Amino acid sequence: MSSIQLENVTKRYKDNVSEMIALNHVSLAVDKGEFVAIIGPSGSGKSTFLSIAGALLQPSEGEVFIKDKAISSFNEKDLAQVRLEQIGFILQTSNLIPYLTVLDQLLVVAKMKGSITEEMKQAAKELLKDLGLEKRLKKYPNELSGGERQRVAIARSFMNNPDVILADEPTANLDTVRAHEVVQLIAKEVKYRNKAAIMVTHDERMLKYCDRVYRIEDGVLKEENL
Amino acid sequence: MFLALKELKHSKGKFMMIGLIIVFISWLVFVLSGLGTGLSDLAASTLKYAEADYVIFEEDTDFSLSKSILSEDLEKKVLEQKGVEAVASMGTVSASIRSADGNEENATKTDVLVAGIQPGSFMEPEVSSGKNLTSSSLNGVIVDESLKEDGFSIGDELAINGYTEKLEIIGFVQNETLNHQPVIFAQMDKFRAIKYAAPGSDNGIENPVNGILVQATDIDLDAVNEEIDGIEMGTKDEAVKSIPGYAAENGTIMMMLWFLIIISAFIIGVFFYVLTNQKTQQFGVLKAIGGSNVFVMKTVISQVFILSTVSILTGIGLTYLTAAVLPEGMPFNLRIPMVIIYSIVLLAISVLSSLFSVIKISKIDPLTALGRVE
Ligand SMILES: Nc1ncnc2c1ncn2[C@@H]1O[C@H](COP(=O)(O)OP(=O)(O)OP(=O)(O)O)[C@@H](O)[C@H]1O
Ligand SMILES: [Mg+2]
Repeated sequence: MSSIQLENVTKRYKDNVSEMIALNHVSLAVDKGEFVAIIGPSGSGKSTFLSIAGALLQPSEGEVFIKDKAISSFNEKDLAQVRLEQIGFILQTSNLIPYLTVLDQLLVVAKMKGSITEEMKQAAKELLKDLGLEKRLKKYPNELSGGERQRVAIARSFMNNPDVILADEPTANLDTVRAHEVVQLIAKEVKYRNKAAIMVTHDERMLKYCDRVYRIEDGVLKEENL
Repeated sequence: MFLALKELKHSKGKFMMIGLIIVFISWLVFVLSGLGTGLSDLAASTLKYAEADYVIFEEDTDFSLSKSILSEDLEKKVLEQKGVEAVASMGTVSASIRSADGNEENATKTDVLVAGIQPGSFMEPEVSSGKNLTSSSLNGVIVDESLKEDGFSIGDELAINGYTEKLEIIGFVQNETLNHQPVIFAQMDKFRAIKYAAPGSDNGIENPVNGILVQATDIDLDAVNEEIDGIEMGTKDEAVKSIPGYAAENGTIMMMLWFLIIISAFIIGVFFYVLTNQKTQQFGVLKAIGGSNVFVMKTVISQVFILSTVSILTGIGLTYLTAAVLPEGMPFNLRIPMVIIYSIVLLAISVLSSLFSVIKISKIDPLTALGRVE
């Protein structure tokens, strides 16, 4: 069974006068250890896709399976639980909590699950070490470089030991060298920890680190042959 | 708590400012409460802190000790009533006293309230220095400590303006004032010799007193009022509230107190609401990575709780410092139960005021984390 599977997902946005289809019968399945990229022009539906896959948004039609759980009928509270236990988000750089140190950024995830144990602290330190941040544990986000911040975000997304990793333009604010570094790190961790991962990106140079690439245009998803 | 504490520590300056405001407001609340109790003590302490539950006055005298005249002989009848455990009669008369050495024109005079009581009854207060009434001759009186500041001390002979009666201070008592005057406790017979010296001034009532204080449990007020002719019995609270000026004075201070408490709630509420609004993106991220509504709300509520608790405690500390440097004669009485009650009210209202923020948080869409601006 796939770690995450979208089945015939359609998303419509309605306003008073018109209705627009942001996602049009989209299906996709990603297995453990697979790193999938989604590219497409602005306004094509990439963020909408990622929001639905990440249990942030409910589809208008179709079903989303996280492991074996169909989540389209879940309420807000259950969705938060799914996000906490099965999904790891890598958001844009600005999305670290400004008053937490690097280590605490990870521990807050542990805190959401209950209390922080010594074991979790060790796991967090290990993760940060994997990402080359072992010398930055006590630093605040404003004391880090863009690349380092994004690496912290990567570490945080793995902290809850999720089944699925979702990344929303993780290289948007980085220079070329850092961008390669970051995507390489995501790919490495995905393989090493055996997670299913989906990355939305504008940057076609990053596609070589991915196993499969999909292009989305006007809400329609198609696999690219590289 | 985790996030709340980390942020408080990280942004000390920001929170210190709002904390200081709460410190000052709670300080003001406690000082006002102390002044309020002090003033109301001045008006009523002898009655307020009397170990009595009910007071009996003459019928239709508005619970006023100065208007009411009863016979002390009624005590027996009252004692027979169901639930009554003990009774103590009291009479009061305003007087102007001076040291007996000085002559009537030149000596400094002090206005006091002479209270006649039976020595040994529950209306006789414990002396803080000197001897109690029982052990003395008819002239002995025990007086409120504030008279010390007017230069009186134990053994002093007192003269009363307009009377030939002499009194002698044999002891001091604490916090005994009525109608804003220090109280002088005298033996009942001595009191009668002063107040009812003129023939006929007692309306022909034998052994006149002005009120009878009652210790009782499970009493049926209506039944007693029915049973004994010519009296009106009420609770001690009612009697205290009927003291002239008491209710108005108390009402003013209470109003100021509650306004302050409500203002502090608003300040805290608005401050945290603005903070919450600034942190929408951040809270969206927390929700996106799996934080429940409750988790995010708790961070704000516990911040309000921690900040208020620390500030209120500081306020209490400042209040006791203030009390220590206030001049002796200032009517200031900070009672611990009051401090506890106002602290709890301040804290509860502060936490309640974070409700605005909590509602705001429940409406934050985790989608904001994806950076979509709507
Ligand atoms: N909340 C919304 N209400 C109405 N329409 C929306 C809403 N969110 C997105 N859309 C529309 O849906 C379409 C897809 O939007 P989406 O944000 O998924 O695009 P995107 O591929 O992420 O674009 P970009 O690369 O610019 O981020 C767009 O046309 C957008 O205007
Ligand atoms: Mg987008």
